[in-house]
Amino acid sequence: MPTTIQRQSLSRAISVGLRSSMNMLDGLIAALQLSFSVDPRIIEITLRSLFVSGSAALIAALWGIPIATIIAMKDFHGKFLIKTIFNSLIGIPTVALGFLLFLAFSRENGPLGFLRLLYTPTAVIIGEAILITPIIVSLATTAIEAVDPEIANLAKTLGASESQASFAVLKEALEGIFLAGIASFNRAIGELGIAQFVGGFIYGQTELLTTGIWVELQLGNPRTSIALMIILLTMVFTINLALNAIQRMRGREWKPLLNSET
Amino acid sequence: MQTWTKLLIIAAVATVLIIAGSYVYFQSLIRTRLLISTTTSLYETGLLNATKQAFEAKYPINLAFIAVGTGQAIQQAQGGSVDALLVHSPSQEAQFLIGGDGVCRKIIAYNFFTIVGPASDPAHINGSSVTTALQKIVDYGRNHTTSRIWVSRGDGSGTHTKEKSLWAKANFNYTRISAESWYASAGQGMSQTLNMANEFDAYTLSDTGTYWKLSKDGTVSLVVFITETKDLLNVYSVMAVNQTKHPSVNFTNAVTFIKYLISDEGQQLIDNYGKDTYGRSLFHSTVQLLKENSTLQIVQWIKDYAFIKEGNESYECPPQYRDSRYPELYP
Amino acid sequence: MEAIVELRNLTKTFAKKTVLDSVNLQILDGEILALLGPNGSGKTTLLKILASILRPTNGEIHFCGVKVTDQNIEKTRMGSTLVFQKTVLFSTTVYDNIAYGLRIRRATKNEIDYKVAQILQLVRLEGFEKRPARKLSGGEQQRVALARALALNTRLLLLDEPTANLDPKNAAIIEEAIATTNRELKTTIVMATHNMFQAKSLSHRIALMEDGRITEVGTSTEIFGKLSKTLASFAAVENTFAGTAKLSEDGSTLIDVGNGVQIVAVTKNVGEVSVFISPEDIILSKSRFESSARNVLRGRIVEILDLGSVVRLKVDVGKPFTVQITRRSFNEMELNLNAEVFLAFKASSVQII
Repeated sequence: MPTTIQRQSLSRAISVGLRSSMNMLDGLIAALQLSFSVDPRIIEITLRSLFVSGSAALIAALWGIPIATIIAMKDFHGKFLIKTIFNSLIGIPTVALGFLLFLAFSRENGPLGFLRLLYTPTAVIIGEAILITPIIVSLATTAIEAVDPEIANLAKTLGASESQASFAVLKEALEGIFLAGIASFNRAIGELGIAQFVGGFIYGQTELLTTGIWVELQLGNPRTSIALMIILLTMVFTINLALNAIQRMRGREWKPLLNSET
Repeated sequence: MQTWTKLLIIAAVATVLIIAGSYVYFQSLIRTRLLISTTTSLYETGLLNATKQAFEAKYPINLAFIAVGTGQAIQQAQGGSVDALLVHSPSQEAQFLIGGDGVCRKIIAYNFFTIVGPASDPAHINGSSVTTALQKIVDYGRNHTTSRIWVSRGDGSGTHTKEKSLWAKANFNYTRISAESWYASAGQGMSQTLNMANEFDAYTLSDTGTYWKLSKDGTVSLVVFITETKDLLNVYSVMAVNQTKHPSVNFTNAVTFIKYLISDEGQQLIDNYGKDTYGRSLFHSTVQLLKENSTLQIVQWIKDYAFIKEGNESYECPPQYRDSRYPELYP
Repeated sequence: MEAIVELRNLTKTFAKKTVLDSVNLQILDGEILALLGPNGSGKTTLLKILASILRPTNGEIHFCGVKVTDQNIEKTRMGSTLVFQKTVLFSTTVYDNIAYGLRIRRATKNEIDYKVAQILQLVRLEGFEKRPARKLSGGEQQRVALARALALNTRLLLLDEPTANLDPKNAAIIEEAIATTNRELKTTIVMATHNMFQAKSLSHRIALMEDGRITEVGTSTEIFGKLSKTLASFAAVENTFAGTAKLSEDGSTLIDVGNGVQIVAVTKNVGEVSVFISPEDIILSKSRFESSARNVLRGRIVEILDLGSVVRLKVDVGKPFTVQITRRSFNEMELNLNAEVFLAFKASSVQII
C-alpha cells in the first residue's frame, strides 16, 4: 500500500514529466518555427557554414584528387605505407587537430601567428581542409582503383598520351570521386572541434552551425540551439538520402557516410 | 607525370587564392578588430552585444567577444591571444595584474548574485543571511537524504568559484558536502543549472541576468530569497593586456574601449540595460560611485571585495599596473 | 611488299618470367598476318608491344623505318590500334566510345558524326549511337570495340582473338568486317588467334608462336602444307590431328591419327595429312546411339571449361577432342569429370588441311 509520501512523489514525478514534455514539445515547435523563419542571424550562420565547409571541400578536392590519381595509378616504393597513412588520418579527432591549429595560429607564440588567422573563418577553412583531405584521398583512390585497369591501356590504343589516358580513367571514376567530395563536405560541415578552437564563436564573424548549437545551449537559448541543429541535421540527412538514392538507382549499395565524433 | 605536376601547381595556386580571398574578405574586420575575452554569464545577458552596437556606432573599431569560462578567458589573455579581458573575479584579476599580463584595470559595473529556490521554501531560509541560509540548507539536506535540495554549477566557472567561497565562509568543507546525497552538481551553464533546480525544487546560486531571463519566460518558477547582500556582491572589471609583455596586442584600441566603458555614455548604457525587457536594471554603474568616494555602504563593499591590496592601501588598479600614457583613466 | 614494322631480337620479361624471347618478325604492308599459338605463348604481349602500349625489355621495333623510342612512342601510337580479347568499353554511349579516338585526333563534330554512322554500318549496328555501350550483348560489344578501332583508319590494326567466345553470327560479322577493311582500305592487320581454321581462311601469312618464340613464319599454304606435324603438336589448337590417310572401299578416306583413333572423312586424300574437326560439329552423348554420323568415338571427360552460355569439354578418346555444348545441355545431361561419353560427327565435318 503506497504511503502518502510515495503517492505524492509519484504524482509529482508524473506532473514533472508531463511538464517537461510539454516544454519540450513547445520548445521543439518554437525551434521549428525559428529554423524555418527568415531570422537573419540564423541565415547568416547557415550561409557562413556552407561557405566555410564548401571552401574547405573545394581545396581538399583540388589537392586530393591529383594525389589520389597518382597513388591509384602509379607503382612506387612505400605505396602501401602512404595509403595506410591516409586511411588512418581519416579518424583524426577534431579536438586534437583543432587544438594543434590553435597553438599554431596563436598570435604570440604560434609559428603562424603572424598571419593573424586565429578566430577567423579562414582559419576554420584551413583546418577543415586539412581534416577532410585524407577522406577525399582515400575514397577517391578506391574509386579510381575500382576502374578496370585496362581502361588506361584502351585509351592509349586509341591514341591517348599518358595524361590523356589518366583523364580517361578519372572520367570513369567520376561518380565515385563525386561521392568522395560530398562525403568530405559532410564531414567538414558537421565537425565541431576545429570550428571551436580556431573559430571561436564571434557574433557576426565566426558563428557556425556546429559551434552555434554548442554555444547557444551554453548561453541558455535552447530554441536557437535546436533550430540550428535541425538545419544541420536536415542538410546532412538530405545529402545522405540523396546519395543513397543515386547509388540505389545505379544498383549498388553505399557504405554509410563517415560521421564519427565531432 | 608532367601534367600532374601542373595540376598540383594549379591546386596550390587555387588554394592560396581561395584562402587569400576569404582572408581579404574578412580582413577589414581583422585589421580593426579588438579581441576581448569574457565570461559566458556576462555574454549571455546581452549587455556586451548592446555595448558593441553602441561602441561601433561611434568608433571604426570592430569588437569581437570570445565568451568562455572565466579560467579560460584569463588564460587566453595570458597567452596574448586577446587584447582585453572582461571578467568578474577580483582575486584572479589581481593575479593577472601581478603576473604582468594586464594593465589599466577599471571596475565598470556591479550586481548581485542571488540565492533562489522553490516558493515553498522547505528549508525556511527566507530572511536569513547567506551563511545561516546555507547552514539551514545543509541541515535540511542531511535530514532528507532522498531529495536534492541544492544544485551547483559544478563547472569551475566564476559563479561556481563564488559558491565555493560562500561555503568556505560558512565553515563547510566543500569536498565533503559536495559529495553528500542532497548536493547536485550540474556541471553545466547557468540556464541548465536553473532548470535543474527548478525540476528538483532545489535552491541554487545564480547571477541576476540569467535568472530574470528564465523567470520572465516562465521557464523556471523559482523565487529570489537572498540578494543585495555583501556576500553576494558581483563586480565586473575590464583590463587591457599588457603591451610590453605581449607586443602583438591591439593596445590603443583596447584603451579606447576601456575609456568608452567608463564614459558617461557607457556607464549609462550599463545602468539602463534590461529596464525595457525585465522592468529592472541588470547592472549598476560604478565609475561615478567610486569617484565620489561616498560613504554609501555599497562603495565600502566594493572596495572591500574588489579592490587590490598594495602595501597598506587598496586600489582599483595599483599604480604600477597603470599605463602612464593614459593618466586620465585614474583622475 | 615492303615491311612496315620490323621487330629485331625483341625480348620482354615480367619479373623473372620471359614472355617474349628474341622475336624477329617483319610485318608487310597491306597483309593480314595471323599469330597462331596456344594460350601463354606470348601473342597478347607481342600485340601490346606492336601497339606501343608496352615497351620491350630488349630489342628494337621499327615503324616505317623509324626506330621507336621513349620520346616518339606517343606519336607512334597514333599509327596503330589494338582490340583487346576481353572487350573493354568506356561507360558511355556507343557514339562516345567510337568518338574517343577521333576526338584525340581533333576531328570536327561533323566528321565524327559521319564516321561513326559509317563504321556502325560496317559492323551492322546502325542506329546504335545513343545506346549505353556496356548494356549491349557480348557480341554487340565486341563489334563496337572493333568499330571503334576501325574508325581510326590506322595504318596498322591489331586484333587479339577477335572472335573467341562469340557465337557464329557475331563471329561472321566481325570476320567480314576484317576482310573488308583489309581489302578496301589496305589496312595492315595482325591477328592473334588459336583458331586454325580462322587463321587459314582470313590471313595471308601465319606466324606460329610457342613459349614466347616464333617458330615458323610463312604463307598459310606453306604452313599447313608441309609442316603439318609441327602444327598438330599444338595441344591447345583444338581438334587438330596428324595422321596417315588411305582410301577405303566405299570411297571415303580413313585417317589413322594414332592411339587407336580412326577418323572417316569425305574429302579424298592419301598420305600424311592433318585433320581438323570444329568443336561445334561434334555431338556429345552419354550413350551410343545410331545416327548418320560416320564417326563415333568413346572416351572420358578430362576437362570442363565454363564459358557462361556454352561449356567446352575436353574428351579423351585416345586423342584429346574439344567439344562445345550449351550450358543447358550440360546441366541436363549431368556431366562431370571422368564421365564416359560418346562423340559423334559426320564425315563431312572432317576438314583435311
